[in-house]
Amino acid sequence: MAQSTAHRRLLQEYRALTNNPPEGITAGPVSEDDLLHWECLIQGPEGTPFEGGVFPAELKFPKDYPLAPPTMKFLADMWHPNGMGPLYPHSRHIYIYIPATAFQHCAKPVYPSGLVCISILHPPGDDPNHYEHASERWSPIQSVEKILISVMSMLAEPNDESPANVEAAKMWRERRDEYEKTVRDGVRRMLGL
Amino acid sequence: MSDEQISLPFFAIVLLVSGLIVRYLFFSGPRPERPPARTAEQIFRSREVAVQRIQQMFPQVERRSILWDLQRNGGNIQSTTERILSGRLETPPVTFQPPPPRNQTPPSGSPGPAAKQAEKPSQPDLITRYNLKSKITDETATEEKKEVEEDKKGKGWSSNRDERQSALQRRRDEMILAARRKMEAKIAAEKAAQGSS
Repeated sequence: MAQSTAHRRLLQEYRALTNNPPEGITAGPVSEDDLLHWECLIQGPEGTPFEGGVFPAELKFPKDYPLAPPTMKFLADMWHPNGMGPLYPHSRHIYIYIPATAFQHCAKPVYPSGLVCISILHPPGDDPNHYEHASERWSPIQSVEKILISVMSMLAEPNDESPANVEAAKMWRERRDEYEKTVRDGVRRMLGL
Repeated sequence: MSDEQISLPFFAIVLLVSGLIVRYLFFSGPRPERPPARTAEQIFRSREVAVQRIQQMFPQVERRSILWDLQRNGGNIQSTTERILSGRLETPPVTFQPPPPRNQTPPSGSPGPAAKQAEKPSQPDLITRYNLKSKITDETATEEKKEVEEDKKGKGWSSNRDERQSALQRRRDEMILAARRKMEAKIAAEKAAQGSS
């Protein structure tokens, strides 16, 4: 029964995203045989080094969706100062784990998984550490669209206050030009250029 | 005379039997004790192998349950397998805490960088990922008109499942190709600017 609730809800969201796609976002199930596995493309926000880029990500929904949040993972080699390590699992800031293999000139690659960890994807309820309000966390009134928009705005506003991707954050603070060039090169490589 | 002759082989048999008894009493006694003392480590290792083998067959079964069952039946893989198949595998009590699998901690001698590299295979670019090579090459100005038409067709929710699927794929491809076209133009513009300056 839980399966069919998730099924219905996801089909409904898929339909909404198809009829009324938000700017710069394409999302849908990889195959309708398995509605719990989606793939989406997110456009890099304008006015950022990610501008012009298209980033693929994977969404995996639990069987009891929308009670529990999906997990999201970038399928691209991305680099962003908010790459976070397990050191700060309850940081209030938006963060991604980023593999940096696309940027060979960086001595220390960062995170292998590409997993996205934003508060909207955290289980419902208040954060025991009181960093995140219940309203910032997952609840059934959130949606795929809201997640993707949050992720997009995360790309636009790197917040280097709690970075675990130390290398990227340091570069972002101290050598902004180099950081932006690194990101831009990655964006181009993503498009096969 | 005849009495003595009979008693000689008899004596030999008595010697042999008593020798066997002495051997049985004093030398075979320690033997059953020795194996467990010697193989605490071996048992652990063979259990580990057994668990791995069982988990290959039934990846959904918890390691702890398997170890618990193996411990109770003396490491018999077959009977554990049968119990899993028949669904009679018991959940171990909370107090049963098996040691963690040893082979998961990597040997300290192994080179770090190599292990790290294995963890993070590089992602292919979008063109390779979505198989767009052919679409790039025959991309021309006339193509754009077609795309507008396709866009119209692709928009909106279709009641047909396959149509929906292909519409989604088209939108995805179009998004990537459009981004690529834009980026190509931008790079060309940058090059031109560099050339003129």
